Amino acid sequence: MTPDPRRLTSTDAQRLIMPTDPWLSCEDCFELTDRFAEELLAHPDTTHLPEMLVHLHACAACAEEAESLIVLLAADVGADPAAALDRLRG
Amino acid sequence: MTLAGPDGATDVGPQPRTPYVETASPEPHEPEDPDEPGEPDWVSDLSSSGPRHEEALRRLHALLLKAARHQVWRMRDQLPGVGAVTVDELATCAADDALVAILAKLGGFEGRSRFTTWAYKFAILQAANEVRRHAWSSREVCLPDDALWSDASAGPEQHAEATDLAAAVQHAMAVALTSYQRRIALALLVEQVPIDVLADRLGTTRGALYKTLHVARSRLRAHLTASGHLTTARGGTP
Ligand SMILES: [Zn+2]
Repeated sequence: MTPDPRRLTSTDAQRLIMPTDPWLSCEDCFELTDRFAEELLAHPDTTHLPEMLVHLHACAACAEEAESLIVLLAADVGADPAAALDRLRG
Repeated sequence: MTLAGPDGATDVGPQPRTPYVETASPEPHEPEDPDEPGEPDWVSDLSSSGPRHEEALRRLHALLLKAARHQVWRMRDQLPGVGAVTVDELATCAADDALVAILAKLGGFEGRSRFTTWAYKFAILQAANEVRRHAWSSREVCLPDDALWSDASAGPEQHAEATDLAAAVQHAMAVALTSYQRRIALALLVEQVPIDVLADRLGTTRGALYKTLHVARSRLRAHLTASGHLTTARGGTP
């Protein structure tokens, strides 16, 4: 018996069509993430490195690591990371 | 396609959850007291020899262990049944690997961030990978059978009237993607297999899989834009 075809949920569909331009590789994201985290923590409304925000919306693993770095940096200086994290999560 | 885990899990049953206690005291990024010394010259210290080098290594490892523990505890819910000792071993292993990676790349540090921020990212990456690998070590990773997702039974004319974006995306997957692109996209985005775990099992890299995903998403957006389901290839819906 052939199993029923599977159906995408709307959440699945949104993930599948997430924009990934301007292109940034995971390797380039890792290269930039320390500078980006400091910049975002100091200036949550920064317009620098827009390709980082696109990549971090589209790549769950890099996003987790960038969020973690921001939280760790904020803890080191006693800052509140909320605004930076809000920007990161769009 | 089934890809067995590389090793067995080491679950040791429910363990009391131990709160994370920071054990390292990194240098402050911006000392408020002007009489306080600033950040040490990490690159110079690590490139030296003798006691100065040893002391720098010790300080760096403490910094990396702090970051690795921070990361492992962030992802603690992915390790149900794993005891505090094992969790701390994962962090220590990650810190050790990060130290090796940093020493190999020391010449590449360009000072665009604080050295400590630069170092943290290596420990966070290693620790996140350790947790993902451990969490999936006893689980099979199955690239989805794309025949179940291809929706080949329905022709494009039926979907031309579809207003349901999910149905349109599913049809676009069937006609616009290769089987490999479809299976990678389904594994990562629908089955939620961590990208590093899938890369390990397939013998590839996070970057290569993300590139496949990028091409697949671009093709889907282009197809859906042409069919009127998206207003632009960047992803807006009508
Ligand atoms: Zn990435």
